[in-house]
Amino acid sequence: MSFRDWYRIDRLPTIYCVGCGNGTVINCTLHAVDTLGWKWEETVFVSGIGCSSRAPGYIKTDSLHTTHGRALAFATGIKLARPDLHVVVFTGDGDLAAIGGNHFIHSCRRNVDMTVICMNNWIYGMTGGQGSPTTPRGAITTTTPYGSGEGVFDLSALAVVAGANHVARWTSYHVKELTRAIQTGLETPGFSLIEVLTQCPTAYGRRNKLRDVAETVEYLKDHAILLQKYNRLVQEGKPVPEDMFTVGEFIRRNRPAMGVPP
Amino acid sequence: MKLVIDSDRCKGCNLCMLVCPYRIFKEGKDQNERGIIIPELDRPERCPNCRLQRLYGRTVCGLCQMICPDQAIRWDDEKENEPQKVVIEF
Repeated sequence: MSFRDWYRIDRLPTIYCVGCGNGTVINCTLHAVDTLGWKWEETVFVSGIGCSSRAPGYIKTDSLHTTHGRALAFATGIKLARPDLHVVVFTGDGDLAAIGGNHFIHSCRRNVDMTVICMNNWIYGMTGGQGSPTTPRGAITTTTPYGSGEGVFDLSALAVVAGANHVARWTSYHVKELTRAIQTGLETPGFSLIEVLTQCPTAYGRRNKLRDVAETVEYLKDHAILLQKYNRLVQEGKPVPEDMFTVGEFIRRNRPAMGVPP
Repeated sequence: MKLVIDSDRCKGCNLCMLVCPYRIFKEGKDQNERGIIIPELDRPERCPNCRLQRLYGRTVCGLCQMICPDQAIRWDDEKENEPQKVVIEF
């Protein structure tokens, strides 16, 4: 069986824009789930509101399309009622960081057994390009026409501090590494967050000189720095290049988890 | 096995051109009936997955299929009596 069998063929092609990275992330997730040999009837995909949250609609398994930011609360409920189900949450940066921020840190604190895949495209793509908590400093959006002047929410660091069991960050260019990270996250008991930086050529790219899809993916590839290399540079006291983001596995540990079937 | 781009699903983002190590995908020239310029295949028999998928029992490379956001790339079986071409570059 291949990961393509998990798609609802009658719903394809997706409504995503040309070159949207969300399709890549769905591919990688389904590949990881398929490699582990999970069954359709034992897996639940949960999502909130946004471009990223349309993903479960294209997958054959049971799914919940829930209220804005509350996907993690619904997923906790599923785990409470049916601990035997595998729960995977698709969410976006506006969903997880802005509106669902409190649900997010408390799900990390409780360490509920689920896998959260956050497609971080730095903007509210579906509603017309408003700035989100992860919009980089200086980026132009419809709500920050002179460049964003606020700090950036580092979701992975937040999850590490709040107590998640497995945290990793990759981009939509690193498909093999992303698939491996998602597989590790699905296997880890407890809360695991995989933050994926994806391109948004329509809402973010055309306002920030990244209209071309291939150019945006090249940008993601060039500005990603591996965590080990970053740590080595800091240790040796060498200067770290600016506007780079770290990718890699941030933490894997064994805090006591909730919702793990005995 | 042969490499196929599904013209019903492809939206023409050309991400496959970026990742293919053999540069099999080329920028297309003509629009299809939906007004989308889908990439052309440059000697697709060079793709290692076409030759080795059966032998190894798994997908070899497969980067284009994984990165394709619209699930448009797949490998099909040849029909019976279809002429097969195998090109190996050293």
